[in-house]
Amino acid sequence: MHRRRFLLLSSIASASLAAPSILRVAHAADDDIIVAAPLPMSGAFAANGKYGSMGTAMAVAVADAGSVLGKKLSYLEIDTEGRPATAVRKVQEAMEQKKVQLFAGGVLSSTALAMGEEINKRQGIFFTTAGADEITGSKCNRSTFRWSVPTYGAINETVRPLIAQMPKAKRWYTITPKYVFGEGLLNAAKDVFKEKGIEHVGNSYHSLDEKEFSGYITNAVAAQPDVLLILNFGSQSSATLRQAVSFGLKDKMTILLAWASGLEQFEELGADVSDGIYFGAQYWHQIDSPFNKQFVAKVQKEKGINPNYSLAGAYIISKLLIEGTKKAGSADGPAVAKALQGMEYDGLTGKETIRAADHQVIKNYYLLKGKAKSAMKDKDDYADIINSGQSFLSPQDAKCTMT
Amino acid sequence: MIYLFQLMNGIGLGMLYFLLAVGLSVIFGLLHFVNFAHGAFYLLGAYLCYALLEYGIDFWGALALSAIIVAGIAALVEAGLLKRIYRMDHMYHIVATIGLALMIQEIVILIWGPIGSSVAPPKALSGAMMIGHFIYPEYRLFLIGFTAVLAVILWWILEGTRLGAVVRAGSESTDMISLLGYDINRINTAVFALGAGLAALAGALAAPIRGVDPFMGVEALAVAFVVVVIGGMGSYTGALIAGLIVGIVQSMMTTIWPAGASLAIYIAMVLVVLIMPRGLLGRA
Repeated sequence: MHRRRFLLLSSIASASLAAPSILRVAHAADDDIIVAAPLPMSGAFAANGKYGSMGTAMAVAVADAGSVLGKKLSYLEIDTEGRPATAVRKVQEAMEQKKVQLFAGGVLSSTALAMGEEINKRQGIFFTTAGADEITGSKCNRSTFRWSVPTYGAINETVRPLIAQMPKAKRWYTITPKYVFGEGLLNAAKDVFKEKGIEHVGNSYHSLDEKEFSGYITNAVAAQPDVLLILNFGSQSSATLRQAVSFGLKDKMTILLAWASGLEQFEELGADVSDGIYFGAQYWHQIDSPFNKQFVAKVQKEKGINPNYSLAGAYIISKLLIEGTKKAGSADGPAVAKALQGMEYDGLTGKETIRAADHQVIKNYYLLKGKAKSAMKDKDDYADIINSGQSFLSPQDAKCTMT
Repeated sequence: MIYLFQLMNGIGLGMLYFLLAVGLSVIFGLLHFVNFAHGAFYLLGAYLCYALLEYGIDFWGALALSAIIVAGIAALVEAGLLKRIYRMDHMYHIVATIGLALMIQEIVILIWGPIGSSVAPPKALSGAMMIGHFIYPEYRLFLIGFTAVLAVILWWILEGTRLGAVVRAGSESTDMISLLGYDINRINTAVFALGAGLAALAGALAAPIRGVDPFMGVEALAVAFVVVVIGGMGSYTGALIAGLIVGIVQSMMTTIWPAGASLAIYIAMVLVVLIMPRGLLGRA
């Protein structure tokens, strides 16, 4: 085989392996109300996608036993592959071919921003768990809603309490993915550092495809920080943490992962790695709220597991979309958006409110500390909640002007 | 000092990349067969190592067993399926091996779930070496030494034994080898199993560093192809040099240009292909 042909075939085959799935419909008919879940079902964030899909499927199954406004409620899984262009193309296909109006998903900020813009152009509605401030900030729009606390809140509810707890830890190093989510976390962290007199001794950017972090860990060690602040997400943050621990960093400095992906990440890391590390979290299955207790019991009964963030986030945003549809009496995007604005409800983290001005859900963010295997009361008792609170920019400060 | 550590880090990574890619290169050299299931064998090796450790087998046993089991599976697949399509167009090779890779990936998800897991290094190698305020994990040091020894053994097998001579001759002309009385089918099966076993060994060795997850095979396959293209298709020494180049470039770039570190290996590949179209030591 010639080299050129080898390279060509290799590229085609690699792309095929990385992205095997396209639109996957679960029993949808033309007149159904469809809740679509655009999620990364392949690639580095596929584990988040698979649990997210499970969450949306559960919410659809629960809603009046699959019927809303006298119509059958269906569920459509869309593999975004974690790529904005692919996500937008598949959303267009779903809206044109399946007449889908309701979208719950996103996960990655870059895909969520791109999809939100496209769905807004076509007057659908999109509820996401992605983190970049811009989603309900400078790039907010009438169709996009967000459940998760954005990067600003994630930093303020993790970095501030840790500084308060360790006032002598003045040197911080950051490892940041080079895309909108990472930049959001980094900028918010820099603001807190400046305000609190923290020395930011260095930052390593890495690409969204990176898997090998030992080089960045070496950079961090060279800067001799007191705290290593990890600002990436999902499997990348697991790889970073795992390699940081293997380099013995736990004994040399405090490690904070500002945006953990929850229980699935603890399961992936294991208690030997997570013990003593601080994690920021949108959701934890041990949150003491009435709705969360019901939800955990339901997931335990139906799936035999404790819910993780991907599953819980997808469940609640899908549930809210369905509630909005019922309240609006229609699955029409603008009507559902209007119905959701200002909605107050018993949520996973307690009382939650959808702020009308920017479509941001006001909810708690949590700081967890990993505990030793010997201290775990059950197989999922990986961490203690050591702080919780709400930090949000006002819609004006977030520069949200509805488009 | 930081560059010295990045160099050491790069050598460790590079030796792992070599181990991963050499099987692919040898299979291509002998069989002229592009094995897109190579990453899946790496994945399977990593997961088998993880499962055997969970079962209570020690690390060294798990390492050896995972490579042997995967080599056995690969031999069965080769004898039962792949040998029937060797003489067909390369498109058939690609379709068959991609199908195989997807099957292995989905089976891994069915058995172990979509979430990955950590794999602890053996206790004797779980510490870290300290020089000044720099730290380097003992397991990574072991990896450099172990893969170096393995590289020498492999080189000896391929260059210094009768089996190696037959394999090398087979890569020039399979018909000639058959006429000399060697059973080319058995040699093909053995080489395919060896290549897959090496990929599995690379997976098992990588597991304590990067953990295991069901999608690690795709990522490994991409790196293996980069190494094979840079080193030259079918070349053992090329794979070794290219593995080291890729590892060192990737590691050094995390300090020089962190945001472009993973891009740097592809830039290196493009440069090599532009300047030396057959790769560093390629023949075809």
